[in-house]
Amino acid sequence: MFFDTWLKLRNAGILGLNARNREYIMRHNPRRRYPLVDDKLTTKRLAIEAGIAVPQLYAVFQTEHDLTKLAERLAPYSEFVIKPAHGSGGSGVLVIDGRRKDLVVKPDGRGLTLDEVEFHVSNILSGIYSLGGVPDDAMVEYRVRVDPIFDPVSYQGVPDIRLLVYRGVPTMAMVRLPTRQSDGKANLHQGAVGVGIEIATGRTTHGVWQNRSVADHPDFGVSLSNLEIPNWPRLLELGARCYELTGLGYLGVDIVIDRTHGPLLLELNARPGLAIQIANGRGLRGRLEAIDRLDAIPDTPLERVQLACELFRVH
Amino acid sequence: MRFSAVFILATLCAVLGLSVAYLKVSRLSVPLDPTAEATVWDVEARIAFEGRGQPAKVALTLPDTPPGFALLDEDFVSRSYGLAIRGSENGIPRQAVWTVRRAAGAQALYYHIKVYPKREEATQDPGPAPTFPEVPEYAEPLRSAIEAVLKKAREESADIVTFTSLLVANINESDDENVKLIRKSATEDGWARMLTEVLAGARIPSRIVYGLPLEQDFVDTPLTAWLEVHDGERWHGFNPQTGQDGYPTNFLIWSYDDPKITVTKGVRNIEVGFSGNKTPMPQLSVAKRVESKLDTGLLALSLNDLPVRTQNVYRVLLMVPLGAFVIVLMRGVVGVPTFGTFMPVLVALAFRETKLAAGIALFLIVVSAGLAIRVALTRLRLLLMPRLASVLVIVIGLMLGVSLLSAKLGIEQGLSIALFPMVILTMTIERMSIVWEERGPGTAIKEFAGSLFVAICGYYAMTEPHLVYLMSTFPELLLVVLSLCLCFGAYTGYRLSEILRFRDLAKR
Repeated sequence: MFFDTWLKLRNAGILGLNARNREYIMRHNPRRRYPLVDDKLTTKRLAIEAGIAVPQLYAVFQTEHDLTKLAERLAPYSEFVIKPAHGSGGSGVLVIDGRRKDLVVKPDGRGLTLDEVEFHVSNILSGIYSLGGVPDDAMVEYRVRVDPIFDPVSYQGVPDIRLLVYRGVPTMAMVRLPTRQSDGKANLHQGAVGVGIEIATGRTTHGVWQNRSVADHPDFGVSLSNLEIPNWPRLLELGARCYELTGLGYLGVDIVIDRTHGPLLLELNARPGLAIQIANGRGLRGRLEAIDRLDAIPDTPLERVQLACELFRVH
Repeated sequence: MRFSAVFILATLCAVLGLSVAYLKVSRLSVPLDPTAEATVWDVEARIAFEGRGQPAKVALTLPDTPPGFALLDEDFVSRSYGLAIRGSENGIPRQAVWTVRRAAGAQALYYHIKVYPKREEATQDPGPAPTFPEVPEYAEPLRSAIEAVLKKAREESADIVTFTSLLVANINESDDENVKLIRKSATEDGWARMLTEVLAGARIPSRIVYGLPLEQDFVDTPLTAWLEVHDGERWHGFNPQTGQDGYPTNFLIWSYDDPKITVTKGVRNIEVGFSGNKTPMPQLSVAKRVESKLDTGLLALSLNDLPVRTQNVYRVLLMVPLGAFVIVLMRGVVGVPTFGTFMPVLVALAFRETKLAAGIALFLIVVSAGLAIRVALTRLRLLLMPRLASVLVIVIGLMLGVSLLSAKLGIEQGLSIALFPMVILTMTIERMSIVWEERGPGTAIKEFAGSLFVAICGYYAMTEPHLVYLMSTFPELLLVVLSLCLCFGAYTGYRLSEILRFRDLAKR
């Protein structure tokens, strides 16, 4: 039975972790480029230089000393997000929705004192959320406001779109919707729903939750399919441009769609996960190999987006 | 291309490691099974004589690197005699020389050896080829008799071996008048000597060897004479009674050419008798002795050259790669989630000392107590490094507490908790508490159980007695482990856990 499943998965072109690591990440992602994506501040700076839209950066805290100015520097903003520059998987992200008297308020309505915020930032600086526990920077940035299209299918939080870009060509996409279980975080490990998106049309297909296929949102029961992602061609182009930005051939691009600013680059990932295959109900290998078979890959992001739409049109 | 490079390297490592191990097994008889026993022969020469009340000297010819045997041990029972060993020199064989100022009455000296019949074909030292002997001046009518017999044998044979075989058989059995004449010329104990004389008539180099066939236990036996003929390349043995070529099984050659293996002065009635019996001996100690007698370069790889303390350290260290390999399998092929990469190996090493059941119990006690305290510390909002240090202090405190408690209760296993790697325990607790907070208790417990499971597998791999024996006796097997690790480094198949994870996709 096991071996049978094995063969079926192989025939379906499902990519496993071992193959992803050895045949794609090690081959196309040079180690020296990792710092560009591991540090969100660097990514943000690069993106701004290249003219790629990102959430506006409000403040950066790098030392404990900086914390003395925390209240002062946060004063102009009532909505913001605090995150570690080296965090992974949405850990250490603190979203503030507004202010109430001396408190700042989280999306679920709980108020925090500035001291508590300061402790959170201090934790970030000490490296608790970074890989290997190395000291980190904390960044404060614009709080993205969800495009209304996602309102019926996301529980608090901000859904984000994961684009897998292989050698500059958008190859597969999914949107991650926060659930009650994920505590408003768009992280599949924490219980968010992943929904596959057709590359050519930007329309959602079906979902994956806890590694299992689902058709409806686990909290609201609404259908997850046939949502149309707004600004899809622009979003694809944004993803394709990240290839030039980083030089990473096997890249996960996380994009949020802001109500007013449109698609914004949130972060990049040099070792994107494989759940995107379950969300799309198809293996990555066929698409990756289709790109590898091409004689040449166009130089401009726009041409690559067109190429992707032709290659991955689903009939 | 990368694929093949990995496999070429892996194959090279495996071949190198296995062939060194094979050489050790085949050449040095190092056993693959630590309980294997080898048959070793104890052979004893008893020299009995009567002293004449005056200074006495007895010299005994000793076997010297007998072909087909490894000489493991020799000792001399000399009583009040002075003993000197003379190495072989100028054609005089190795000798033991016993001397005493005054010997009177019946005396006995003993020479005792342990020999190990090597499994491989007797590889004798070919030595320099002997010169062709001159045709002896036989007296008539013996001369014509010998010529006739030689002529007959020459006509019926193809080469030196068949010639000798035929000739000896003929001399032993034929009723021919010529043969009878030749037979008559031989003295009773000079039969083999007579044969060499006849062979010299055909200018064939021959010699007599004296030895002991080691087949069944024997007591007080004389040496057996055997005929050897050189065919231009090497010596061939022949039964002087039948002409059959070859040697008796396990023929331990004691001396060449000279039937007299003792030289005496001042004694009379000397008699030499040989006794022998089989004794079983652990093959490993046979191999060690064979090693120490031979001086092969291979043995530079033996752990036995190190001081015992260091040997014991390496006996443990050599098992660590196996533990690491278990992790490679568990993570890369099975897909068991673990905390950290090598944490399970270190925990397994600790289990080695504490024994499994006690180890798991202690591990669970410390980690769960540490975790509870770590959760309490979260409320204090400590910074990372001080918090880790605090957890470390608490872990050591817990270990000490468990040790003291078990000492009070007389549970010896509790004391061994001191062997747990405390930094690893601390990091495990820290990692687990973070995973617990971020991904919930389910994930944390799953990863913890995974780590524990891998540690237990590693423990079994690292303590399996046969594997321990193999790794410490054949350290070159490290290359084989390396080769396996290289192979799995190039494994791009699914992990078993992924088959479960992606099973929905297989249905479409």
